[in-house]
Amino acid sequence: MLRIIATIRKEWLLLRRDKAGLALLFAMPLVLITVMALIQDAPFRDYQEVKFDILAVDNDHGRLGRYIREGLQESGQFNVVDSINGQPLSEAAAKSMVAKGKYKISITVPKGATAEIVSNANKIVNDISKRMGLPSQLPVKALSNDSLAVQLYFDPAAKKAFKSAIHQALDNFLTQVETDLLLERIQLQLRSRDSLSQDTFPAIRLKAVALRETSLGEGKQIDVISNSVQHNVPAWSIFAMFFIVIPIAGNMIREREDGSLVRMKLIPGNYLSVLTGKLLFFVGICIVQFYLMIMVGLYLLPMLGLPELQLGVNHVAGFLVAASIGVTATAYGILIGTIFKTPNQALNFGAVSIVILSAIGGIWIPLEIMPESMQMIGRLSPLSWGLDAINDIYLRNGHIPYVLPDIAKLLICGGAMLVAAAVVEQRRIG
Amino acid sequence: MNSIAVKDLEKTYAGALTPSLRGLSCTFAEGTIAGLLGPNGAGKTTTISILCGLVEATGGSAEIFGMPQVPANREAIKRAIGVVPQRIALFPQLTAFENLRYFGNLYGFSGKPLREKIMQHLEAFGLEKAAHKETGKFSGGMKRRANIIASILHEPRLLVLDEPTAGVDVQSRSMILQFLRDYNAKGNSVIYTSHLLDEAEQICNEVAIIDEGTLVVQGTPKELVGRHGHCRNLEDVFLHYTGHAVRD
Repeated sequence: MLRIIATIRKEWLLLRRDKAGLALLFAMPLVLITVMALIQDAPFRDYQEVKFDILAVDNDHGRLGRYIREGLQESGQFNVVDSINGQPLSEAAAKSMVAKGKYKISITVPKGATAEIVSNANKIVNDISKRMGLPSQLPVKALSNDSLAVQLYFDPAAKKAFKSAIHQALDNFLTQVETDLLLERIQLQLRSRDSLSQDTFPAIRLKAVALRETSLGEGKQIDVISNSVQHNVPAWSIFAMFFIVIPIAGNMIREREDGSLVRMKLIPGNYLSVLTGKLLFFVGICIVQFYLMIMVGLYLLPMLGLPELQLGVNHVAGFLVAASIGVTATAYGILIGTIFKTPNQALNFGAVSIVILSAIGGIWIPLEIMPESMQMIGRLSPLSWGLDAINDIYLRNGHIPYVLPDIAKLLICGGAMLVAAAVVEQRRIG
Repeated sequence: MNSIAVKDLEKTYAGALTPSLRGLSCTFAEGTIAGLLGPNGAGKTTTISILCGLVEATGGSAEIFGMPQVPANREAIKRAIGVVPQRIALFPQLTAFENLRYFGNLYGFSGKPLREKIMQHLEAFGLEKAAHKETGKFSGGMKRRANIIASILHEPRLLVLDEPTAGVDVQSRSMILQFLRDYNAKGNSVIYTSHLLDEAEQICNEVAIIDEGTLVVQGTPKELVGRHGHCRNLEDVFLHYTGHAVRD
């Protein structure tokens, strides 16, 4: 125990006096997380909280134009702009502003669009009445050669998903107007036939089956993942924890180069106890790092206008996952420090390998949006196990049994790396 | 009893074209200051590494105080020897006191006894005023002295030193050599490697000159110098046996 405590104290003294090492372990990750959360905030908000200005040119002045304007406004995702400097917007002006990239989208409702829908509804009602032996009395316009269309202009840089969402919303509004007008025409026809029906005509339920959303998390919204803080804080915290590989490997190679490793090995007692002290110290540092980053998500980022990080309900599970990630990261550092002979080799390999493991492990972008083949590779990255476990706790309110498989994977991986380091070191003696 | 005894010792490192040791045999009696001398690449460091258990021999045997260097004896051998590496095996960011406390803790010492032991040694080596200074900021001589203290905290019966006076000033060198004499006077054994042959001649009771992995000659410095009429000192003896060709 004395050897373990002495090693922890020694590592603490070494780290305390290594200003660059302290900056690498604590200051840089804080800056990294803050910057990443801020710059990724906009893409995460694109389809969530940000309201887009949308140009609306209403040449119809009828029900369709009104429905589209009101529908877009009520969706909460758009600010409908139908006049500039107090002047009604023209289609040409709207088109020009979208082309210049000032707005992402413009919608023009053509003149006579509502009249066209009314006429079409009248035609349907007249046809039905005729088949039922009733008089066809609703007015119908003559067929026009050019079919009317609601015209959309998109900024060429607009994302495909955004365009698709707009198309879908407008399709819904058109269907709604057409259905409303058709029902009105039917009611009108029926009332004209029987004056009593005005009082007894039943209300027509348009939606017999509704959609209902229930979150599977315990009392929390599962879509909290969609914000930048909820993805970036845990993801980059794990990335920063793995960067502990750099000081560990550098420290081990320096010890080998200056002979202090030989001195430690020549002292009676198992060298494993020295390694255990080193492991415990750096796992402790990883845990401190993790909770510092979490504090950034809880206190600093909200001060910068970003959402507050949600931590789930089981903090013990969160701690266990952080410690497991720390074990794997430290073991990886020990392995690299054992395999490589010079600090340059170790530091370059260590840094690049962590960047690769983090990229495929879903740290930069969520694994779910990667191609399937990359997802399969990504699931092999210890960083993805850590992130999965953290998401299970923070987003799905998972408890310890929920994250045990990921914790087991992390610890087995860490153990395997320590065994590999021991084998390499043993071969060196031979 | 011998402090060390090696017999037919062989070592070929993985990937090496030539062996480092080719059947080296030599013994040093307990209680002597022995010099293991040889040109670069002669096999001195490999021999010491095998004796300490840092490297495994390809063939032959090595014993320390009659204990064969095998895994079963490794802990007992570690307790019996102190090794002063040629490089300064200290943490430069730690003070002399912190370094010595750490290595003392690894030896199982702690608390007041350890503090007192450290301060005694620091005083003996003239480092008491620098106890709380980072060793990275020490002069070459101070580093060498602190390097020796870290290896004698457990008071080993055999002290092995690899070039302990390389790159130090005259005063530090004199202090280190006096320490070796004093340590030996307490009944401890010292094995010492150096390229400074006048120094070896001055303090060693016995020297072994090795070259290309084998023993060339062994005896007291006086005896070896006397064997050859043209040799005035140990350096002449060394050159007589190992030649004038430059070694890399």
